Amino acid sequence: MTSETLGAIVERALRGEKHATSRLVSLFEDRRESAVPGRAEVLALLNKHRSGPGAAVLGITGTPGSGKSSLLARLVPTMLASRPSLSIAVLAVDPSSEISGGALLGDRTRMQLARDEPRLFFRSQASATELGGLGPTTFQVAGLLARLFQCVLVETVGIGQSEADVRNLADRTYLIFQPLGGDEIQFLKAGIMETPDAFVLNKCDDPSAEKSYHQLRAGLRLGRVDGAGTEPPIYKTSAKSGLGIDELASDLLDVVDAGPRRPVLEREEFWLKRWMKAEWGRVGLRFLEEHTINSAALLRSAGGLDGAQRALSRSLVEHLHRCQT
Amino acid sequence: MDARSSSSASLESAAKPQQHRIFDEHGEVARDSPWIIRTYAGHSSPEASNELYRSNLQKGQTGLSIAFDLPTQCGYDSDNPIARPETGKVGVPINSLDDFHVLFEGIPIEKMNTSMTINGTAMWLLSLYVALARERGIDTKLLKGTTQNDLIKEYLARGTYIFPPEASLRIIAEMYEFCLGEIPRWNASNICSYHLQEAGATPAQELAFALVNAIGLLDVIKERGRFDHESFERVVGRISFFVNAGIRFVEEMCKMRAFREMWEEITRERYGVKNPKYRIFRYGVQVNSLGLTESQPENNAWRILLEALGVTLSRSARCRALQLPAWNEALSLPRPWDQQWSLRLQQILAYETDLLEYPDLFDGNPAIRSKVDDLKASATKEIETILAMGGVKEAIESGYMKSALVGSMASRMAAINSGEQIVVGVNKWTEGIPSPLLSGSDGGLFKVESTAAEDTLASLERTRATRDPDRVAKALRALKQAARDGESMMEPSIECALARVTTGEWGKALREVFGEYRPATGVDGQRLGLEDDRVERLRKRLAKLADRIGHRPRIVVGKPGLDGHSNGAEVIAVSARHVGFDVVYSGIRLSPEEIVLSAVEEGADVIGASVLSGSHVELAEQIMEGLERHGARERVQVIFGGIIPQTDFEALRDKGVRRIFTPADYELIDIMESIAGVIEEANS
Repeated sequence: MTSETLGAIVERALRGEKHATSRLVSLFEDRRESAVPGRAEVLALLNKHRSGPGAAVLGITGTPGSGKSSLLARLVPTMLASRPSLSIAVLAVDPSSEISGGALLGDRTRMQLARDEPRLFFRSQASATELGGLGPTTFQVAGLLARLFQCVLVETVGIGQSEADVRNLADRTYLIFQPLGGDEIQFLKAGIMETPDAFVLNKCDDPSAEKSYHQLRAGLRLGRVDGAGTEPPIYKTSAKSGLGIDELASDLLDVVDAGPRRPVLEREEFWLKRWMKAEWGRVGLRFLEEHTINSAALLRSAGGLDGAQRALSRSLVEHLHRCQT
Repeated sequence: MDARSSSSASLESAAKPQQHRIFDEHGEVARDSPWIIRTYAGHSSPEASNELYRSNLQKGQTGLSIAFDLPTQCGYDSDNPIARPETGKVGVPINSLDDFHVLFEGIPIEKMNTSMTINGTAMWLLSLYVALARERGIDTKLLKGTTQNDLIKEYLARGTYIFPPEASLRIIAEMYEFCLGEIPRWNASNICSYHLQEAGATPAQELAFALVNAIGLLDVIKERGRFDHESFERVVGRISFFVNAGIRFVEEMCKMRAFREMWEEITRERYGVKNPKYRIFRYGVQVNSLGLTESQPENNAWRILLEALGVTLSRSARCRALQLPAWNEALSLPRPWDQQWSLRLQQILAYETDLLEYPDLFDGNPAIRSKVDDLKASATKEIETILAMGGVKEAIESGYMKSALVGSMASRMAAINSGEQIVVGVNKWTEGIPSPLLSGSDGGLFKVESTAAEDTLASLERTRATRDPDRVAKALRALKQAARDGESMMEPSIECALARVTTGEWGKALREVFGEYRPATGVDGQRLGLEDDRVERLRKRLAKLADRIGHRPRIVVGKPGLDGHSNGAEVIAVSARHVGFDVVYSGIRLSPEEIVLSAVEEGADVIGASVLSGSHVELAEQIMEGLERHGARERVQVIFGGIIPQTDFEALRDKGVRRIFTPADYELIDIMESIAGVIEEANS
């Protein structure tokens, strides 16, 4: 892509052309060194066009089978219908096969209802070799989409480790779960309850849901005594009957209206560290610590994540050379 | 021999029971009346189909068998984008009661026996038929016929289901409940073993799966508890079957005898049916279409004749209704002449031969008895296995029945490939003089008139413009209310029909209440036999390609159109992930525009479209136009797979299709390497 075409593509993407948007996303997913200058250029062009932090990013996580995709298939049209000028990008992350590296990305199927909507853009990502959760470029792609759309929804299988990822990506995270047995509630309380900002008890057309609701409510009172003393809301929904969808949609829309809460830089620091660990392992993390590198300063001076990654790699390689000699 | 002895001999023979004769209730020598003679027909438009039906009836056909197009079967209006390429293709499109008035114009439905091959929308089509009778002022008690309405086999083999199993079973049960009082001579559903055989079932599997399906249905009806025992017996009496008859016609005849005996036992023992009349195994037949061959198609005429014998020879297991395919059905839809030829076969068999003058020819034959017992024993064992699993619903959901069928199909194909099973003109005696039947100006094939779809769309527009919108809205609200409240949906559906609600509106209303069934795609946990050096080499090749193009090669696999035979697409999706592609599997029933949008948004390198309905050329055109519109024609390569005749390859390639795969390409690894090649070429 020449710089001239990049400018034209950005313009088309800003006009809402899906193929142009898709090409920009591909550029932000591109693993080649040659893609780096293009990304910087696109960001510069977009910043020129729209200053400010961009749109809010909402994280939708949940265990497999909790009905995330079906719920989104209800939520998205509801949100679009209530705000005639709202535009939404959905980024759905699916796991890759560890053996072949390939992935089966099936969530589009369930989003069928809203697919021909011009204000909606849907993109699947493979988690690549990461352990569940988000792919290596999810953060950057979400950042791009946040400059093109008024709302970005990131959907992912949320278990364990990836929770922190989502938290450092999204302005607000929602944990979707289905009516459970007592043991599973215990598991929830012990593990992933601390991160979500809101809970969504889906499949509430099931009579056993009421019990789960109360167990969770009670568990939350015990398990989350954070300073502010605010209990996170629990929404009762049913993707099947449409129950509770309006209430949940209005929670999401409030976040969209408020805009991003965490500064981009703060989040970039986390992703830089995460990248360092993935790319260089413990050696990389130790290097960061021992040399007390100021990630924020580095990110600023290198002009963002791409540049900071390259700078870090370079200095680490130099450091290793020095160690050898 | 003198006069006296001669006369005494004749006296003696008159006194003896004449075991080769049939007698009526007055003791007179009689001849059986023939089965209902039908031809499965319907195409293009209500007008064209009406003309065809009237001419078939004039030629001596005694019942109607209606083929609907896929949009009607799946509950879509003809102008829905997903429906457009399929409108009028494999049957007649029906959008509203106005179309039914045209379809049955000049046909006295009170005297007809009408069979409708309709499943997901069976309740709607029955409602239209009842509404038609009401508008014509005909007593509905006079209506006779069948709605196929067997969703089990749709989930297993045919793919035109709409709603989840629970809702489907409720709809079927409500139809039985309605029919028993209102249309007592209507078969609310047909238990179909026909499609099971097409999907590969052995005779024993066909017996077992069909009977266990009937048991599942009767158990549900019984559980709902809307009938006292006497009425329930009558419901059992309304259960009828739709059976396949294959080329091994002696075994097929034994299968029918086994069916009759096993149904007798089940209705008596499991359901305590006392009236013998309600324990009779009633069945209609379509003889096998799958076994008809594309090469030397004239041979199919003999196959059809022999297959018809299997279900007519034995009086005690003779079909109630028979429909024969035409000799050229493996090539295209039959022309009226082709159907007439098959009709004549039935007439010769029923009226010219002496077949109907004899009592059963096989009772007491030890070879037949033994074969029947053998089939019964295997089938009984299979039924017990399935019931132990929890029943037919569980056997579907667990994939047990599906994998049993796939296994049988695979061994059948293997036997034909190895030549162990002879198919004349296919794997033996393949040389022959070209058939003069194919040399007419039309090439011996039927072509749907391209203007037919336009007529259909115009009449749909007319209906929408002339109806009372308030009545429509009210009728649809009442339908949804009944669906939600668990009340019978039959009367609200009939009111919808009278109000000129369209097929798509009816389908949409109930989809909103029940949801649309998306079966497990079958893409997980499939074993592929793809584990060798070539897979490893291909994985490395794709990894290298990924480094070069900056992303893992990505393909969108989907089925544009309405035919639900998804196995091929699923196998491709799973194989592709297995070798290292990122795969967006979009599932069945997609409009070309939806597939294009998937590929565009997902940044795919390739669209792999699977088409079995014969609409591949139109669909390819629409996909290419869609890509063009998005400016993505260069970026996304398109490949096609499915039942695609060689003669269409050029048309597809002209439109820009890069690769075409047919059932002849059965080596998955070859296909995968070929797809990798397409991406490499595009990025070179």
